[in-house]
Amino acid sequence: MTEKSYRDAIRDAMMEEMDRDPNVLIMGEDIGVYEGTFRITAGMLKKYGPKRVIDTPIAEAGMAGTAVGMAMLGLRPIVEMMTMNFAIVAADQILNHAAKVRYFSGGQVDVPMVIRGPQGAGVQLSAQHSQSFESFYAHFPGIHVVAPATPADAKGMLKTAIRGKDPVIFLESAALYGMKGEVPDDPDFTVPFGKSRVAREGKDVTIVSYSRMLQLSLIVADKLAEDEGIECEVIDLRSLRPLDMDPVYASVAKTHRAVVVQEQWKPFGAAAEISASITEAMFDELDAPVYRVTGEDVPMPYARNLELLATPHEEHIVRGVKKVMYA
Amino acid sequence: MPDVIMPKAGDAMTEGKVVKWYKQPGDSVKKGEPVAEIETDKVNLDLEAEADGKLGVHQAKEGDMVAVGNVLVKILAEGESDDTPAPKAEEPQRRATDKKDSVKHTTGEYHEAIEQKGPRRDRSAPESNVVAMPSEPGERKRSSPLARRMAHEMGVNLESVQGSGPRGRIVAADIKNARTDAPAGRAEAHPTLETKIIPLTAMRRTIAKRLGESTGPIPHFYLTADYDVTNLVSVRQQLIEMTGSKVSLNDFLIRAIALALRHHPNVNASWGDDAITQHGEVHIGVAVTTQDGLITPVIRNADQKSVSAIAAEVRALADKAKNRRLKPDEYQHSTFTISNLGAWGIEEFTAIINPPNAAILAIGTAEARPVVDANRQIVVRDRMKITMSCDHRVIDGANGAEFLKTLRQYVEQPLRLVI
Repeated sequence: MTEKSYRDAIRDAMMEEMDRDPNVLIMGEDIGVYEGTFRITAGMLKKYGPKRVIDTPIAEAGMAGTAVGMAMLGLRPIVEMMTMNFAIVAADQILNHAAKVRYFSGGQVDVPMVIRGPQGAGVQLSAQHSQSFESFYAHFPGIHVVAPATPADAKGMLKTAIRGKDPVIFLESAALYGMKGEVPDDPDFTVPFGKSRVAREGKDVTIVSYSRMLQLSLIVADKLAEDEGIECEVIDLRSLRPLDMDPVYASVAKTHRAVVVQEQWKPFGAAAEISASITEAMFDELDAPVYRVTGEDVPMPYARNLELLATPHEEHIVRGVKKVMYA
Repeated sequence: MPDVIMPKAGDAMTEGKVVKWYKQPGDSVKKGEPVAEIETDKVNLDLEAEADGKLGVHQAKEGDMVAVGNVLVKILAEGESDDTPAPKAEEPQRRATDKKDSVKHTTGEYHEAIEQKGPRRDRSAPESNVVAMPSEPGERKRSSPLARRMAHEMGVNLESVQGSGPRGRIVAADIKNARTDAPAGRAEAHPTLETKIIPLTAMRRTIAKRLGESTGPIPHFYLTADYDVTNLVSVRQQLIEMTGSKVSLNDFLIRAIALALRHHPNVNASWGDDAITQHGEVHIGVAVTTQDGLITPVIRNADQKSVSAIAAEVRALADKAKNRRLKPDEYQHSTFTISNLGAWGIEEFTAIINPPNAAILAIGTAEARPVVDANRQIVVRDRMKITMSCDHRVIDGANGAEFLKTLRQYVEQPLRLVI
């Protein structure tokens, strides 16, 4: 184990996989000479050269489309989106091509590609650059959507993404890049998709989350345990598609209450899907309606004070927990 | 003469609503004068008379939906009469709509169409079993799925459970409590208590504010009850004769009051700025006079102690009080207080509430008085007056009266005190 930042864990995963498999390459805007807007790709151009670390024009649809073609012919491209907000331009390539090729080809052609980049609020990037896309992509069959919350998961899941045979939307939290955590050194350490984990055990309330909101939920859980003796069980979903609800159900069977925390807007969000699944599967176990903690239903403000007000705060989670506890 | 019909005000329009009748049957109208206002899914329109004349019978009421092309009202020429019967209440005009055409367009119509497949309902009859406000007698009880499952498994009747969740929802905790309340006869006789924080409602806040303005920070009101203590006096006498123990009427009353409080958690309570606390335990403060003034040693969990135990404790605490040796935990944190001036021959008085209690009982002397009995005969009975001072922010008149009624059972039927 070595302590690494979320950022370095992502870089390590890519470089180890590029060392392991010559078919792995990365392309994106300003990733080579400039070494990446968030410095994820520092040192990579120097090490692997311009054939495997490709600086592209500002043309997300072109990048994604090129990657689909590369993947269909056996390469394993990683596309870095400067932020996932820019990938909207490439949505047709991702959703109508990457996600459909294996189906259309009757299983003959795989599309092993990764589209990765930061998303989410918290670093004052304003309305166009602070959005969260997990429910947008996870709605579509044919792609994996993952959102790791720790450096270890970031590394292990990115390796799984690169080694897999399907397109993966790999959602990084811009606000987590600097976060440190223990990361296994084993170059073959991978984290499978579709395996939620119990990030913290508890008996009173189940909090379900992922990515940055998972970290916030853990902080709240510790605080509630210390201040009020409320023991929250916190579940880290890790991947939205495939979505592993079994640990959530097991937890709800124990606590009889659930709060789902997401950063994105409430309507039609991931929390709605999770909440509905809990209600469908665990109706007779519930002692309170499943509560959703979400961002405010507004374009993300640039002003720091307003950005804070528009994103879920610890207080919101505390309120949610108390609500489902009738406390 | 031309009739006023529901116009087709747009391609998709199949029906319209009568918003308002400007003219009543029999009114005369001139050509071009508005007769009714209608509402389509896009706009409101005035319908005008196309000729002079007199208005016939309204074929639709305000608020009715009417199919395009159907007659709303006839315009009658001089001497003409309208023999069209008014539509019956249970058959609103909407029924005339051709469902096959309207099914296609909107979800609202879709639901109508679905409904059409089932047996027809009489929509004019009021809906029975409408779920409205909580805790109306006979209404469906709200409950969480888990609570329902637990109730089923534990054999608890949901109808008998009071829900503590929002809108009276019965939750798991209520079922657990109901279960512990239920079985033994003892628990039945003296309900168990739990500490409850009841957030202030807007109404409670207003009551508190207004009454406080009127009478000072604790708005008092007073209720006096006159109890027949003949039996109690006799039981006490027998006990003293049998055991030689020193037991006062006051000791019996402490137990009676403590048990009565268990039935009325809203009286065993405290006011707070944001919430009313109903205490889960009954601690009775007993006003004791000393050379320095008044102090109220506390009989803790008085509802769980026998009369003789209470008697011994009151004696010990009163001695300590007089010697100024009471420790803070012996005179603090009462949930209810009594003051007894019976020994001074006071017939009745009012006491000042001892905060944060919500009430205090002022106990007068027990004395033989002539009273009219159930057979309207004048008989001599031992009587005692008790006056309850209530914090009106917490307790309303009826709550206090109910408590005094429960207390009457314990005081007048002292055998209940040994259960």
